[in-house]
Amino acid sequence: MREVSYFAPTEVGEAVKLLDQHGEKAAVLAGGTDLVAQLNYYEIKPAALVYLGELGLDYVREEDGKLVIGAGTTIAHLLNNDLIAQKFGVLAEAAATHASPAVRTSATIGGNLGTASPAGDMIPSLMIMDADVVLASSKGQRTVPIQEFFTGPGETVRAPEELILEIHVPLLEGKAVFKKLGRRKAQVCSIVSTAVRLEMDGGVCKDARIVLGSMAPTPLRCVKAEAMVKGKAIDAALVAECAAQAVAESTPIDDQRATAWYRAKAGTALVDRALAQAAGI
Amino acid sequence: MKQILSFTLNGSPVDVIATPTETLLDVLREKLGVTGPKRGCDDGDCGTCTVLLDGEPIRSCLTLALTVQGKEVLTVEGLSENGDLHPLQKAFHEHGAFQCGFCTPGMLMSAKALLDHNPNPSRNEIREYMSGNLCRCGSYEEIIEAIQAVAAGEYAPSGGKE
Repeated sequence: MREVSYFAPTEVGEAVKLLDQHGEKAAVLAGGTDLVAQLNYYEIKPAALVYLGELGLDYVREEDGKLVIGAGTTIAHLLNNDLIAQKFGVLAEAAATHASPAVRTSATIGGNLGTASPAGDMIPSLMIMDADVVLASSKGQRTVPIQEFFTGPGETVRAPEELILEIHVPLLEGKAVFKKLGRRKAQVCSIVSTAVRLEMDGGVCKDARIVLGSMAPTPLRCVKAEAMVKGKAIDAALVAECAAQAVAESTPIDDQRATAWYRAKAGTALVDRALAQAAGI
Repeated sequence: MKQILSFTLNGSPVDVIATPTETLLDVLREKLGVTGPKRGCDDGDCGTCTVLLDGEPIRSCLTLALTVQGKEVLTVEGLSENGDLHPLQKAFHEHGAFQCGFCTPGMLMSAKALLDHNPNPSRNEIREYMSGNLCRCGSYEEIIEAIQAVAAGEYAPSGGKE
């Protein structure tokens, strides 16, 4: 029988030393809602499991105009958190669409980043706020802007000896909206999702962030679509053009959930609605 | 790397040997003979493995056993007290809220967690909270009605139906 080691460190310093020791042969375990399914189906065979649940990383704080979210914060806790509700409501909206109540009890925001699915529900909201991801290793900490964190489906810049420690979210202005489309209303991996944030001054957009999920190898910032609306008066015609541009920057694929054709059509409608809602028109 | 796993199961302390890749579902069913929680998909989608961990619903198929060290687990076996069915069990029975019964343990655990958090849920709140439990026989309507009946106090221990 294959022997697997198990560790439940109680301090980050201990955890990163374990990752140094075991490197790529270790799997980091937070909520387990992605990892344990892979173990159950023998898709991964780590030599060691490092459980992060006792590191005390489940917290949400406000510091210097930013929200500091511990990577171990469960999706259920984000849904019930007053600071999130008051200052980062779009994240709670996204959290409510994530899997199901029982999965949300265990799943963590750090895990959603670490799994790095292009469909990750928590990611678009973080991207429209220009969030930073803080990684810890035995060498110290480093901060990676979330735009640079994902390198491909399931791939990030996190090295095997690093763990995701915190997410820092600047409390940027503007109205943020998240929308998710799935094959049904509950417990779905998105066919297409979007988060947008528009900073409006009267009817004019001062700044924009537009992100598409499930439409590219990673969650996607649609920078040309953002440039299209920045500094302009927002009306229905511009919103329609912008939504089409956002989808034009994406590379949807055919998969078991939907075809690229459908994703492009539905995605255009989704972004259109999100922009209109954010612009208040 | 086997370890002794000690936790509270349905109100009683239990010790069992578990390996790191065994899930709580594996340990409950295979080692402790607690077969209420079912293995429907082993990847967190169907909900038949749902149990309560420190009062919150979890997927026991996605929870590594060693991570429940020192915690409290409640399964469907722990719902009845002193030989009496739990109000939810009585309501499911009387409302015909199951056919094959395979989803029922998970449904009951999610329903208990729902009413513990929200004793008076709207129909939509019931549907949302129960959205992670699938029923292939299609007893959804009866399940919702049973939960509504319990919330309305029709199965209160001190009165109502016997």
